[in-house]
Amino acid sequence: MCMAVPSRIIAIDQGVATVEAFGTTRTTSLMLLDDAVGVGDYVILGAGGNFAAEKVEPDIAAEALAYLAEVLA
Amino acid sequence: MKRLEAGIDVTLRVDHGTIAGVRIHSTRLVQAPCLLAGRSPTQAIAILPTLYALCGTAQALAGCSAMETALGLSPSPAQRMARRVLLRLETVTEHAQGILRDWPALLGEQPDPAWIKPLRPMLTTAKRALYPGGDWARPGGGMLAIDRGALVEQMRLVTTMVVHLLDSSPEDWAENLTTILSWMRRGEGVAARLIRRIDQAGLAGFGRAAPHLMPEAGPRDLDARLAADTTGAYVARPDGTGPDGAYTVLETNALSRQIGQPLVAGLMALHGTGLTTRFIARLVEITEALRELGDLVQDLCDDPAEAAEPSGSGSGLGVVDAARGLLAHRVEIEEGMVSRYQILAPTEWNFHPRGPLHAGLIGAEAGPDPEGRARLLVAALDPCVACSIRVDPHA
Repeated sequence: MCMAVPSRIIAIDQGVATVEAFGTTRTTSLMLLDDAVGVGDYVILGAGGNFAAEKVEPDIAAEALAYLAEVLA
Repeated sequence: MKRLEAGIDVTLRVDHGTIAGVRIHSTRLVQAPCLLAGRSPTQAIAILPTLYALCGTAQALAGCSAMETALGLSPSPAQRMARRVLLRLETVTEHAQGILRDWPALLGEQPDPAWIKPLRPMLTTAKRALYPGGDWARPGGGMLAIDRGALVEQMRLVTTMVVHLLDSSPEDWAENLTTILSWMRRGEGVAARLIRRIDQAGLAGFGRAAPHLMPEAGPRDLDARLAADTTGAYVARPDGTGPDGAYTVLETNALSRQIGQPLVAGLMALHGTGLTTRFIARLVEITEALRELGDLVQDLCDDPAEAAEPSGSGSGLGVVDAARGLLAHRVEIEEGMVSRYQILAPTEWNFHPRGPLHAGLIGAEAGPDPEGRARLLVAALDPCVACSIRVDPHA
């Protein structure tokens, strides 16, 4: 039961994105992602977090982040 | 603030060449679903695939099933069949993703993105091919209007991917134990090479322990245990008593589901629940799911569903086969609003502090690299979150 945390891309360098969620940043590889993404897009990370798994639309990301904010409160 | 990066931490203690201590600590946010209370069933179902995106199909369909039981809704056979297609397809794509993405790392190799990228879109396309309105997890059933051409194309893509993964046609591969052993000695795909390396290292039986396999429909007292679980202790560490009354933690995964297959039973006789049996059981599950999908896709038919908003009161348990094992949702609904929501996921059984990982490691020969050996057993048990492993002489 992996909670999928939509993370916002804040930088991309040679296929590796720096992503942010709840004030925490980390890097994740975009090499396994089928969708084209850019800075400002949301992605969820695969199990373990080394690879981005899927692009998430902004409205869906906002809803999930609001729920997760309650979980983490 | 709680940790967002929830995961599993395994700490080993080695004493005189033997793994003498195994501590498994989970920081997974297993209580998070309780916040679904206060939403309508439709709202709760809508957010499930987003919150649990990696196995979102199974999560939403378990929730849907729980709500149908709670509200006395009975989906038609056509709806059940279409849902089964989506569940089986998610199982194939999740297993394939795990194998193609994570098994190369166990061999010190890089994954090949060309085969991994199309996996998630296959499931998205299949959902659209069955439920063009996107209501595939609607309690009572969605508008099922099949685009057979699109579905058949996805089946073709999935089959091609499985042939690549096995480096063999699934039928030839799974013919009998002899063909599997020959594949293991000669196969060039990542799966064959990993299992061959394990065999050559003398680790085929590593991690074997007395099997406590989950029954198909889950523990008989599952609904009662969840209903009584006011503290959340059961969803965090599910356990029970065996037929002899002894404390038991079940495991739920490809091995528990495929144990009835002669191939898997044959491997059990050779290697018990060791690494080779577990890794091959996952491959057997892929071939079995593919075969079942072929049959289901033939029999699918359209079914317009009633579009009523779920209402009423009641409680219900929904159990589905997710890729990693049995996934249970339990819901209580009061006058059309969710008042209680619980999820018990396979990782809680498989990575229980006294579950199959513990049983497989404790007392095992540590060898020169106990961390590496433990990593193989963790990969075979396939957690849905990151798992760290360390050796601590003071654990």
